[in-house]
Amino acid sequence: MMLLEHHAKQLLHGAGVPVPDGFIVTAGFGPLPGDVAVPCMVKAQVPVGGRGKAGGIVKVASVAELPPTVDRLLELSIRNHPVRACRIEAMIDAISEAYLSLAIDADSGAVVVLAAAAGGVDIESPEMRRQLLRATAEPDPQSVLEAVQTIVSALPDTLRPAIGDVAARLTKLFFEREALLIEINPLFTTRDGGWIAGDAKILIDDNALPRQPMLRDLIETNPDLYPEAALKLAQGFDFVRLDPDGDIGLVTTGAGLSMQLVDEIVGRGHRPFNFCDIRTGGFRGDPSRLVQVFKWVASGPRVRSVLMNFFAGNTNLAELAPLILAALEQVPELRQPITLRMIGNGLDQAHAIIAASGNPIFIETDLERALDRALAASRENSHTRVAANA
Amino acid sequence: MHKPPPLHGPLIAADTPILVQGATGRSGRAQTAGMIAYGTKIVAGVSPRDDEASAIPLFRSCADAVAATGARASVCFVPPLGVLEAVYDAIAGGIELIVTVAEGMPVHDALKAKAATRAAGVRWIGPSTPGMAIPGKLKMGFLPNVSLAPGSLGVMSKSGTLSYEVCYRLVKAGFGQTLWVGVGGDSVKGTRFADLVPIFAADPATEGIVVIGEIGGREEEELAEALIATGCDKPVFALLAGRSALEGVTMGHAGALIQSNVGTIDTKTAALRRAGAQVFPRIHDLVEAVAATLGANALGRAHPRPAAEPIGIVKWEQP
Repeated sequence: MMLLEHHAKQLLHGAGVPVPDGFIVTAGFGPLPGDVAVPCMVKAQVPVGGRGKAGGIVKVASVAELPPTVDRLLELSIRNHPVRACRIEAMIDAISEAYLSLAIDADSGAVVVLAAAAGGVDIESPEMRRQLLRATAEPDPQSVLEAVQTIVSALPDTLRPAIGDVAARLTKLFFEREALLIEINPLFTTRDGGWIAGDAKILIDDNALPRQPMLRDLIETNPDLYPEAALKLAQGFDFVRLDPDGDIGLVTTGAGLSMQLVDEIVGRGHRPFNFCDIRTGGFRGDPSRLVQVFKWVASGPRVRSVLMNFFAGNTNLAELAPLILAALEQVPELRQPITLRMIGNGLDQAHAIIAASGNPIFIETDLERALDRALAASRENSHTRVAANA
Repeated sequence: MHKPPPLHGPLIAADTPILVQGATGRSGRAQTAGMIAYGTKIVAGVSPRDDEASAIPLFRSCADAVAATGARASVCFVPPLGVLEAVYDAIAGGIELIVTVAEGMPVHDALKAKAATRAAGVRWIGPSTPGMAIPGKLKMGFLPNVSLAPGSLGVMSKSGTLSYEVCYRLVKAGFGQTLWVGVGGDSVKGTRFADLVPIFAADPATEGIVVIGEIGGREEEELAEALIATGCDKPVFALLAGRSALEGVTMGHAGALIQSNVGTIDTKTAALRRAGAQVFPRIHDLVEAVAATLGANALGRAHPRPAAEPIGIVKWEQP
């Protein structure tokens, strides 16, 4: 997962890489500190690039302009990510910008060091790509430091101290925190001969969180800023809100199949409210995970139909069916029609258990027909509401 | 850093003796029973614990198990943070092919495992995979029986569940598999799509290749390059999941993370189409295309493997 810029800069600061002074504000913020130096930058904190072009980075000239600017940015959604926080940051008087990154190359299993004597937002342009210096190393600190030295020696004299120092610190941070990517773009150099990270992008490894207490803490203390990762840490499954106006709620298992279902629904002209990989293998006879997901799906203001999908390759549907019924009993607010697609072990028994309950869940074994049914239910449900309002 | 040459010939022979690492854990014990019931030649288990009820002889290390039973391949059920040590143990014991199923192996561990298996010439499949199977003969991992049938399709997949669904529907339509390899949903892994191309290209029983890919990384793009480089002229049917995924957020699979212009559906679709593959957004359309291309009821004329099939595992050879 990608850290927000503010937290990435905190990690850099901790590693001895200079970053501009700054602090984070979230929705419902109180009075701002009185001593904020202006002009300053207000930067929307979202885990995607292209913030500047999307209007998510604003220069503010006076303290009075700060609160309304922050409020305005907190209303934004940038590439489908609601802005949940802003970083207010000191301006840097830069004389030049450079680029530096360390990344894992998944194909070769190497660490790739990239640097350029120019940086900025256009690093991905073909022109900039040609200017990039590149070295690859075995995935250990010593080899990466050697790769860094190769690159530093090819840089202009003026940049060698900055890139050399920062790259050595990033190498240490990269291995200590088990990063997948650390990128500084731009790395500013200043009039006094110093350097400072203008922006920072760090991808951390979700799989390493169990042995990275500092990163785990960061996510656990900021569940509002990292809702998906915090949920995964706390409860061991995935739930991503995709579209606040979505009409289809999904209660599904399996990452790939759930992603595919989202695609199939969008391809048929509907809008999934969420992505979900509930991991039935982790239920162990307890319906609480289902209760949680039913509640979230029911909270979607425009959700008109719910599709559940369970391909029981290794689990048993006969054990799942009573859990579904028990969970639904605990979430009476879920009134949308439910289409339950089940296939695999224990199907007949599961079918009988649900039929005997009298619950009006519609059961289907074929996925195409289940999709048709769930989407039709959404359209019918919508007509019903319109008629009721008329 | 060099890349080993791709494998040639079959990945593993159906009668290869196999051991199970993590054989006494909850999952390991259950899946061992499932693999044995499927007909897989499971000869030993490795575990730090004893288990009176174990159906197979247990050993403390792969070296001991290999010495006593002649096991040549391993399927590993140890938890994610223990996988790297298990891989080292397998290498030290002389195992030639290891499948690690655990989801959640740290990427920096995967880097070390990748370097170590490569240096030792050991084939690694995983992490985060339901495993692999030669339908009707052998299963390493837990691909569901309902989706497995002998047939003429070579299958490579990142996602477990999506591949279960696709193969289930293909089997219902009459199309089974020669070999199905789940490469796993993580970004750093032992065997990538492209590594499997020479195997499927050279296998006379494989009439078509089904690719179940998804957003993130460059694996589908590399696959396209390998198809062109190999001159593989078998029909390739690809399903790519995640076109509606949210950039910057992990969609269940650690590897399914889009960043800037890399790993999008568009780059993957374009690359695969340039290599002559058919790419589908819908499962239904893929199944129809397989049926239209390979003809009705290919299951009925599934190729039995020739008796002269090479026995044993083809090793990675160092250049």
